[in-house]
Amino acid sequence: MTTIGQNSNMRTFRGREVHFNARQFVQENITRRWWLTLWLIILVYLTGVVTWNQLAAAPVTTALLFVLWAVTLTLTAVNEMTRHHNSTTQWLRNNLYSSLTNALITLLLVLLIVAGLRGFFAWAITHASFTTDPEAAAVILEKFTPPGANWGAVIDNMRNLLVFRWPRGEDWRLWFILIWSVVLVIPSQFIFRREAFRKSLIRRVLTGLWVLTPILSFLLLRGVGGAESLIPEVNPDQAWGGFLLTLVIAIFAIVASFPLGVLLALGRRSQIRGVPGWFTYGAAGLLTAVALFTSTFPGLSSAPTTAGKVLAFWPVLIPLVAYLFQRFFKGNVVALFSTIYIETIRGVPFITVLFMSIILFPIFLPPGTEVLSTWRVMVAAALFAAAYLAENVRGGLQSLNKGQYEAADAIGLNTFQKYRFIILPQALRAVIPAIVGQFIGLFKDTTLIAIVGLVEFLGVANLITAQPDWLGVRREPYVFIAIIYFVGSAVMAGYSRRLEAQLGVGQR
Amino acid sequence: MAEITPQVSTGQESIPFWRDGRVLGVLAQIAFLAAVIIATGWILNNVLQNMDKLGAFRCADGSSSFVCGFNFLRIDAQFDIGETTIISYDPSDAFSRAILVGALNTIRVAVFGIILATILGTLAGIARLSSNWLISNIAKWYVDLMRNTPLLLQLFFLYFGVILLLPPIREAVQPFGLPIYMSQRGIDLPWPVFMSSARLWIGFVVLAIFLTWILWVVLGRREIQLGKSTNRTGWAFLTFLLVAVVGWFVATATSGNNQVVLAANTVSAADLAGLESVMQQRLGVNDLASVSQAVSDGTLTQEAVDTAAFTVCTLRDDRSEVNLTAQLRKLNMPYSVKAFNRENLVSEAFAAGDCDLYIANKETLAAAQTAVSGATLIPIGETPVRFSIPSLQGLNFTGGYKLTPNFAAILVGLVLYTGAFIAEIVRAGIQSVAKGQSEAARALGLSEGQRLRLVVLPQALRVIIPPLTSQYLNLVKNSSLAIAVGFPDLWTTSFITLNQSGQSVQVFIIVMASYLSFSLLISFLLNWYNQRISLVER
Amino acid sequence: MTQAKTEEPKSFGHNEEIIVCRNVRKWYGDFEALKAVSLTVKQGEVVVILGPSGSGKSTFIRCINRLEEHQEGDIVVDGIPLTHDVRNIAEIRREVGMVFQQFNLFPHLTVLENITLAPIHVRKWAREKAEERAMHWLGRVGIPEQANKYPGQLSGGQQQRVAIARTLTMEPNILLFDEPTSALDPEMIKEVLDVMRDLAQTGYTILAVTHEMGFARTVADRIIFMDAGQIVEENTPENFFTNPENERTRLFLNQILHH
Repeated sequence: MTTIGQNSNMRTFRGREVHFNARQFVQENITRRWWLTLWLIILVYLTGVVTWNQLAAAPVTTALLFVLWAVTLTLTAVNEMTRHHNSTTQWLRNNLYSSLTNALITLLLVLLIVAGLRGFFAWAITHASFTTDPEAAAVILEKFTPPGANWGAVIDNMRNLLVFRWPRGEDWRLWFILIWSVVLVIPSQFIFRREAFRKSLIRRVLTGLWVLTPILSFLLLRGVGGAESLIPEVNPDQAWGGFLLTLVIAIFAIVASFPLGVLLALGRRSQIRGVPGWFTYGAAGLLTAVALFTSTFPGLSSAPTTAGKVLAFWPVLIPLVAYLFQRFFKGNVVALFSTIYIETIRGVPFITVLFMSIILFPIFLPPGTEVLSTWRVMVAAALFAAAYLAENVRGGLQSLNKGQYEAADAIGLNTFQKYRFIILPQALRAVIPAIVGQFIGLFKDTTLIAIVGLVEFLGVANLITAQPDWLGVRREPYVFIAIIYFVGSAVMAGYSRRLEAQLGVGQR
Repeated sequence: MAEITPQVSTGQESIPFWRDGRVLGVLAQIAFLAAVIIATGWILNNVLQNMDKLGAFRCADGSSSFVCGFNFLRIDAQFDIGETTIISYDPSDAFSRAILVGALNTIRVAVFGIILATILGTLAGIARLSSNWLISNIAKWYVDLMRNTPLLLQLFFLYFGVILLLPPIREAVQPFGLPIYMSQRGIDLPWPVFMSSARLWIGFVVLAIFLTWILWVVLGRREIQLGKSTNRTGWAFLTFLLVAVVGWFVATATSGNNQVVLAANTVSAADLAGLESVMQQRLGVNDLASVSQAVSDGTLTQEAVDTAAFTVCTLRDDRSEVNLTAQLRKLNMPYSVKAFNRENLVSEAFAAGDCDLYIANKETLAAAQTAVSGATLIPIGETPVRFSIPSLQGLNFTGGYKLTPNFAAILVGLVLYTGAFIAEIVRAGIQSVAKGQSEAARALGLSEGQRLRLVVLPQALRVIIPPLTSQYLNLVKNSSLAIAVGFPDLWTTSFITLNQSGQSVQVFIIVMASYLSFSLLISFLLNWYNQRISLVER
Repeated sequence: MTQAKTEEPKSFGHNEEIIVCRNVRKWYGDFEALKAVSLTVKQGEVVVILGPSGSGKSTFIRCINRLEEHQEGDIVVDGIPLTHDVRNIAEIRREVGMVFQQFNLFPHLTVLENITLAPIHVRKWAREKAEERAMHWLGRVGIPEQANKYPGQLSGGQQQRVAIARTLTMEPNILLFDEPTSALDPEMIKEVLDVMRDLAQTGYTILAVTHEMGFARTVADRIIFMDAGQIVEENTPENFFTNPENERTRLFLNQILHH
């Protein structure tokens, strides 16, 4: 722009005016700031070193990439100077070559990415072995340094990874559940989206079938009756494993946590008239007195240290707690306990809750009660998920306008009807994306049960490395599991985004 | 009008209690409380019965009490802990100390993890918004990959699939030729070590900060008076640099005779130059810098150099050893270090003639000198900070800072994972500051830096801080996965304690309370900070 | 007092006092929002409450159906004392319909579902009857063709008319209007006011908070002026606008009318 009108400087290229002011170019790209100059020097050095190294490692590819870079850069620069971009050079100019530093960074990154991809593909494909015969695999892998992936271990263990020790003869049950779900999903996509089906019988039938699904799945997975039964009972601690166990626990946890989570959210927000102050303080005073006489005064004489004597005065904390309870919860016991539950669970790691379920659960039950590990872990996961779900639902409740509550009151609905017909349908619909996000998190967190000794998806991977045939093979099953998780999470996240967009459109 | 109205008072006494909203509320509360108490009571009763069978709450006098359940904490732990933070630990220490060591290890992971994840997350978040298509897409793939795969899987992969598959220690990988060594045994990094003269220098640095601050304020006032901007950032920076550098030299100069080394009678030297000539004689060269050249030429054998090298005896992890070896390296003198675990072992070795040089603090050396005839004290200088460089001695690296494979796995794993979540938060935060805000700032004539500092950052921070808090909390909670890679954090040591002592209920109470207090502390700090910055708004 | 309920005074004779408020007081923390407000409304009367914002007029009518709780004084609606008795509150809410400034329709339900929800679940009507009555009232407010749409698909004026129909289908004796036109665009105000005028002529007891001076002047039987939590003036529309008794009223009218 600055050169326009300075005719002495005007040059042309293929009949087009060339707009280039060398001084301005240098100022903008190099000397504008001292750190820019320094950064440019570092970049030139780095790019030089990397190019040199890559030329040595993979001469043809590197040379090709370099030429490609140089040609596109030149074309873009020429088109920029003649102010005559086509769509490709416009894109390149905006996204890859917007400045001198960006052009250098582009070359540097292209070289590094290609080098990384070459390494990965060599490991994963060209230098890899796909045979399930361990000896043949060893022969293939010996030819390469470093050796590639030993995919035979994953292929050989595919059944273990997916269902682990599920009895072979009973596979039809799993297929049944899978096909049943798919058959329900496809019409659901259609029927639950269309306004025309809102009141239809088919929609009710479909909803009923969906409600039936978890019960049916559980029946098939668990089985009923002895060996002569059509679906003999299995022991989940043994028969459930691999990806199957991961799915069962994640789905159970999110479904089972729903009622408790909603109740906790309502409890935390509840506006029930609280216990009056005189009652709280009276009870606190009474308790304090009792504790002082039964614990402090006898303990005071026996406490050996000063610290022990001070600790013996713990009952004085009771009035403090009572004050905090009245101050922050206005005497609302329901809100207090809901909050305590939610915040305690959210404040501790999942792994400790899981270990609690394994180690402490038996201690919480009457002596002699036996509960399978799988049940314990499922209950723990559901109780854990409930606290997080409660916070999501609370967010949905908070997003509702106060007017909705008032209108429901004004038309005479009672509290139950108000929540059943007005508040919860709207609040829950608003948090569906958040709940899907929570389910993704739960799906990932389920891997932690591998640490407490149940063999889920990741647990199988850790077993493969100990098999005599595949001793020490670790990366391959890990990569396989990572791909499954990545695809699964990405699909669910995409679904959640689509839902979010739809909900946004549906509402006003 | 009053006389026509039905006689209605507030009428409380006339309402049956089962229809009175106030009474119903309180009744509901009491019913709920009763249900909670019954449920907890049932569980507590079961716990007490079960614990009684196990004898877990037994006191010394045979009675049973909840408080006595914690007496086991004083018993010897009798298990080893691979690494410790700040305090030392020995299997003969009590269970309570084992748990404390674990808690400190968790704090170490949390502190390093939060700092590094914040840096990584901020960089990745900014990279997501880069105008360079490649950079933003690389950042996007990093974020997606980390967020969509389980953390435990990442940790396993990192630990078993990367760190444990690194080359053995003798073939340690050195990235970019830096003095960083990565091997199966972990990662060894150079690490700054503060010498005794560092106190003086830190004093200067504090002074420099104070002066810079004053200058900043004064120049700021002057800017307002003059009504034009001066280069106050430059001046403040220069002042800081000047005072800090002067302090460095002052501290170095005054430390002259602070540090001495005790030389055996086989080494007769009065100062560092004397040591140099001793070594020249031993090797038969005039210039020590030419030794490495001579070895590669073949005129000198490596064995000859190894024999001639000074044997430095020292207590393990002694700061003065770092100072001495740094100076020996500077003057190209070959040396080997013999590190001992106890002070008396060092002096015995020196008395037995196993060492050429004995390095410790001045007083210890003076005492050792009297015990050995012909030993001389040689003054060597020191600078306030010396970098301790890892060097391979035998089968292990000495010096520097060692990240064990377990610590490296949990730290790097948590940083990479949490960094991805922070990146999304930072990106959303920056994007939330509407374009109009930036345009308004430009219209006001603010510079690029002022625009970022005064307009974009404060607004973005308000959006960023709350979700960032929950990410920090997640990092602390996720650090409990250290058990999967064998790092002895709070949960790992507690779990071993639980297994060794069998006191499950008590251990769980301690663990839960500890994690809850970590969580409360972090939320408290960040809430406080958040309130401070949101005050700016209203 | 217990007799008051069992008798179920359903008389429609004029001059029956249907709302009686005596010395109603309410505090928000230290702020006294209502300072001993007393008001009596007769069956079929149309009372308009005017006043500057923050004068407590909304709070006052929201106390009448217990959306806000008054702390002192008595409120008796249709012979039912408004106390902590949950049954009385439910009965009063059935007698009293309310129309809000922000319409407060339920966005997840169709217009017809919005209207029939309460009749079905509170009045326990059969669905057919509820829908028949709903269509009747939708016709009365002039939008029967919108019955199966969602509130989000309607204009503001239409939404407010749906809200009125929702209230009327419950067959209340008393209608409370809380600034029903304040959230509307000017061209939609008239359609809502026409409906309200129609209702007033039908014989409903109406208590309305509004800024529509034209409506107040032509439709109201009585005008109440509130300021700072108190009733400052009570007058006929004629006298109120032409010859106000109170200095504060005069000031208020000056500000309103000379714009």
